[in-house]
Amino acid sequence: MFERFTVPARQAVITAQQDARERRQTHIRTENVLIALYESPTSPGAQLLRDAGVERADVEADIVRMHRGDAPDPEALATIGIDLDEVRRQVEVAFGPGALERTRAARGKGAGKHVPFDRPAKKSLELSLREALRLDRSYIGSEHILLGLLHAETGAAHHILASRGVTLAGMRAAVEEFGRGAASG
Amino acid sequence: MADATAVAAAASSKDPAVGLAAVASLRTLLESLEELQVGNARAQGWSWQRIAEVMKVSRQAVHKKYRRLGF
Repeated sequence: MFERFTVPARQAVITAQQDARERRQTHIRTENVLIALYESPTSPGAQLLRDAGVERADVEADIVRMHRGDAPDPEALATIGIDLDEVRRQVEVAFGPGALERTRAARGKGAGKHVPFDRPAKKSLELSLREALRLDRSYIGSEHILLGLLHAETGAAHHILASRGVTLAGMRAAVEEFGRGAASG
Repeated sequence: MADATAVAAAASSKDPAVGLAAVASLRTLLESLEELQVGNARAQGWSWQRIAEVMKVSRQAVHKKYRRLGF
């Protein structure tokens, strides 16, 4: 399937993997693929996203917000009567400054390992193929990856885009329009 | 003041988003503390068996989880 990917589409998959690793995730998720589409700024996927009013910074902000649960959240712990600062203070008395933050658990479990696609991300790539076929294309471009992400309803990318008013139907129309006006990729 | 705290706690306990976020954070904190304590115990020469007994888990479970961290 990957041999049919255009250069920007291929780049998006590679960048998504790097992005997941940098965020210390155990899997590549749809949001990593989404933000990776901006890596090739002139690609149809990136242009369509910007045309829809979704900038890279918006996606980044949403991802950071979603991942906040990976480190202990002092406000969340305060609601059940746990003072994270006090816990940290006690731990540092015994184990030294930054001891809590240095643990593998706090840094994330995926550090340094091979990062596979999670189920929705895999599904979204399969759906990008279907979207390309639907439009009678012999290649899979960044615009088809974008449509695949909108298809994969269990993925966070779908959620990020839907919350910004981007729908599968609307983007399909935009992709067809785009295809009439410019070369694909 | 105490009343306000009680009201806030009661309200938060009913909101799944707040309650679940608290549990998720608690789990991460637990994992960090466990890792620190197991590492410390190993550094002090404790056997996996002894660590497992105090933690009330199987020796295999604690060994499998932490062996690859080099403890």
